[in-house]
Amino acid sequence: MADPKLRILVVDDFSTMRRIVRNLLKELGFTNVEEAEDGAIALQKLQGGGFEFVVTDWNMPNMDGLQLLQAIRSTPTLKHLPVMMITAEAKKENIIAAAQAGASGYIVKPFTAATLSEKLQKIFDKMGT
Amino acid sequence: MSDFSGMEDLLQDFLQEAGDLLSDVDNKLVDLERCPDDRRLLNDIFRGFHTIKGGAGFLNATELVTLCHLTENLFDQLRNAQISLTPELMDTIMAATQGVRNMFGELAQTSLPRPAQPEVIAALRAVLEGEIHADPAVAATVDAPIVEVSAQVTSAPNIEVSEGPDWQVLHGALTGQEKPVPATTSSSMAQGQAGDALASSAAQMTPHYPPEGRRETDKPGLAVSGATSGRRSEEKAAARESTIRVDTSRLDQVLNLSGEIGLTKNRLTSLRADILAGRNDSETLHALDQAVSQLDLLVSDLQNSVMKTRMQPIGRLFQKYPRIARDLARQLGKDVELALVGEETEVDKTMIEDLADPLIHLVRNAVDHGVESAEDRLAAGKPAKSIVRLEARQEGDHIVLIIADDGRGMSPERIRLKAIEKGIIKEEEANTLDDRQSLNLIFLPGFSTMAQASAVSGRGVGMDVVKTNIQKLNGSVEIRSEPGKGSVFIISLPLTLAILPVLLVLLGDQPFALPLSMVREILPIEKSKMQEVGGKETLVVRGEILPVVALSRLLGWPQLKTPEYGVLMQTSERSFILSVDSFAGRDDAVIKSLEDFRPRGVAGVTTLSNGQIVLILDMKELLTDLNAHIERETGVRQTKSLERSI
Repeated sequence: MADPKLRILVVDDFSTMRRIVRNLLKELGFTNVEEAEDGAIALQKLQGGGFEFVVTDWNMPNMDGLQLLQAIRSTPTLKHLPVMMITAEAKKENIIAAAQAGASGYIVKPFTAATLSEKLQKIFDKMGT
Repeated sequence: MSDFSGMEDLLQDFLQEAGDLLSDVDNKLVDLERCPDDRRLLNDIFRGFHTIKGGAGFLNATELVTLCHLTENLFDQLRNAQISLTPELMDTIMAATQGVRNMFGELAQTSLPRPAQPEVIAALRAVLEGEIHADPAVAATVDAPIVEVSAQVTSAPNIEVSEGPDWQVLHGALTGQEKPVPATTSSSMAQGQAGDALASSAAQMTPHYPPEGRRETDKPGLAVSGATSGRRSEEKAAARESTIRVDTSRLDQVLNLSGEIGLTKNRLTSLRADILAGRNDSETLHALDQAVSQLDLLVSDLQNSVMKTRMQPIGRLFQKYPRIARDLARQLGKDVELALVGEETEVDKTMIEDLADPLIHLVRNAVDHGVESAEDRLAAGKPAKSIVRLEARQEGDHIVLIIADDGRGMSPERIRLKAIEKGIIKEEEANTLDDRQSLNLIFLPGFSTMAQASAVSGRGVGMDVVKTNIQKLNGSVEIRSEPGKGSVFIISLPLTLAILPVLLVLLGDQPFALPLSMVREILPIEKSKMQEVGGKETLVVRGEILPVVALSRLLGWPQLKTPEYGVLMQTSERSFILSVDSFAGRDDAVIKSLEDFRPRGVAGVTTLSNGQIVLILDMKELLTDLNAHIERETGVRQTKSLERSI
C-alpha cells in the first residue's frame, strides 16, 4: 500500500460526505487528509502546494468535480496529481467524460473501505508506487 | 440494537446537514412556485435531492435513496424543460419532500426508513414515465426511472451493476495504454465487452449513446455551473441538541485570549511574590495596576468570544417558515409570500431553539388572522398577494425580531369588546385602557379575536404562550397595528442569556438585583407628591398615574425606613414604581441558577466584586404572589383591578 503520509484532499460540498470519505481513508491508514467545500476552494488549496492525491465529488456548487479535474489537468504544477472522482451514479457517459478529462479513477456511492482500497490500489499500481 | 450501531455520529451529522439542506429545498420550492422556469432554483433543488441521496446510500437507507432518486430525476426533467411545472406536479413534489422529511424522522429514531407512501412513489413514476410515453422524440433523450435501467442492465449484463463499468478497462480502452483484461471468467468477459462497447461509443462521442440516453445528473457544465446557491457554510448548519458547530477562527480567538490571560496571571503571581516580600514602591504598584487592567480587558474579551461561539445565524430558524406559511396560505386559499430579512443576524443557540415555537405561532397568526382573503384585499384596494415580513436585526445589545403583515390590522375597540364578552376583563376596566393596552389584551389567556376558531391558529391558546415564552428569554413583545394597514409584532431579546445587565438596589444594607431590561427610569420619591388612589399609593409621572409598590412589601420584610427612590419598572403591559432605600449601581451579572433550591421570586443569584451573593429578583413572580396575598386578605374583586393596575 502507498505511503500512509500521503497528503490527500477530499472535495465535497456535503460535510457529512467529506467525513465519510475521511473515515474510510483513515480505516485504510491514510490520516493526512484535508477537506475542501467545492472545486474553487479545492483548487485554491491545491495551488498552495503539498497535496499528492485528490478525491473529489462530482456534483458541487461553484465549481464541480469535472471542472476541477479539468483545471488540475491544465495547470502545469498540478497536472500530474492523481484525481479520483466520486459520483452517485454509474452512468457511462459520466465515466467517459471523467476519463476524457483525465481522471485517474472513479468510484460510485455508496462504497465500502474495501472498494475504496481496491480503487486506490489500482491507481497506485499505475503510478508505480 | 439500532440499525446504526457504530454510525450514530455519522447519522447525527447526516440528519443535521441533510435537514438543513431539505429546509433550503423547501424554501426554494416556495420560490419556484413563483418563478417555475428559474433554472438556478431547479438546479439547486435537483442538487439538494442528489446530495441527500448520496449520503443516504452510505447509511443503507434504500427507501430514502429511491425517493430522492425519483424526485431528483423529476427535477432533471424539469430543468431540461422536458416537463413543465403544474400545480398538481408541485403537490407531488411537496408530498415527496414531506416523505423525505418523514424518513429523516425515522432515521432520527435510529430506524431504517420504511418505504414512502405508495401514492407518492406512483405519482412520481407516473410523471417520469408519462413523459416518456407522451413524446417519443423526447423519450429517446429522457432518462428512464431507475427500475427500468436496472431491468435493462440485468437483461443485457454487459455492465457491472453495483460498481458501474470497470474503470480500468474503460480507461485503458480510452487512453490506449492498457488492453482490456483477457477474459477468464464470464464476469471479466462481460467487463471486457463493456469496455469495448464503451470505447467505441466514446469514440463516437456521448450524445448518441444508448440506451439510457442523455442525462444531466452528474453532467457538469451547463447544468450545474450556473448554480450559485448560498453555500451552506459550516456555521449555518448548526446543532439541534447538545452539540454545536463553531467557526474555528472563533475557537482560535478563545484559545488566544486564554493564553494571554495565562500570561497575565503569571505576571500577577510574580507581582504578588514581590509585594509579599515587602516591595510596595510605586513601580511595583503601577505594574500591578497595569496587570489588573489588562486582565480586566482580556476577561471581558474572553466572555465576548465565548459568547460568540454560541451564536448562530437566525436564518437556520427562519428557513423553515416560508414553507409553513405557504402551506397554510394554500390551505386557506390565500396568496401570501413570507419575506425573510436579516437571516444572517446571530442569536444565542438556546434562544434560537426556544424561539421556534413562538415564531411559528406568530407567522401562522399573521397568515391566518392578519391577512384577509384575496377578495377582501382586492375590495380594499390592496394587491391580492400579501407580504408577511419576518425580520431579524441587532440593535445595540438587543436582538429585534419583527413579524409584520399588510393585512386587516387590529381594532383596539373590537379587542376591548371581545375581551369583555369573553369575561377576561370588566367593562369599567376596559374603559381605562388605551389603544396600546387594548392590543395587549390578545396576550391574555383565553383570548381569540376570530368569531370562529379556525383549524390552524384560533384556539385561544398561543398568544399567551408566545408571550410567556418570550418573557422566559428575558424578552418582550410589542404590538403595533393599524386597521386596514396591517399588524406588526416586535420581539426584543437580549443578546445572550448568560449575562444579564442588572440594577442593584438596596434595602437597608442588603443589595438586590433587578433585570435592567425592565427598568425604565429611576426617580426620587417625594412624600408630598404621593397620592392615594383607591387605597393604594400612586405617583404621577408625566401624566401617567403609576402605583407605588415597596420592595420591602413585595418581599414581606418590615419597612424600616421610608423609601427614597423609585424605580419605574415596565413589564410587558404593566408599569409600576418599585420603591427602594437606595442604589448600589449597575452590573453585568453572570447568572448562577438555583436549580435544586429556587425560592419563589428569585430568578437566580450572582456574586458582586466583593464576593457578596446577591439575589436576582423575578418581578413577575413577586407581583403574582403579592396579588395572591391581597386576594386572601381583601377578596377577589379588588385583586382583579389590582392585577390590572399593577
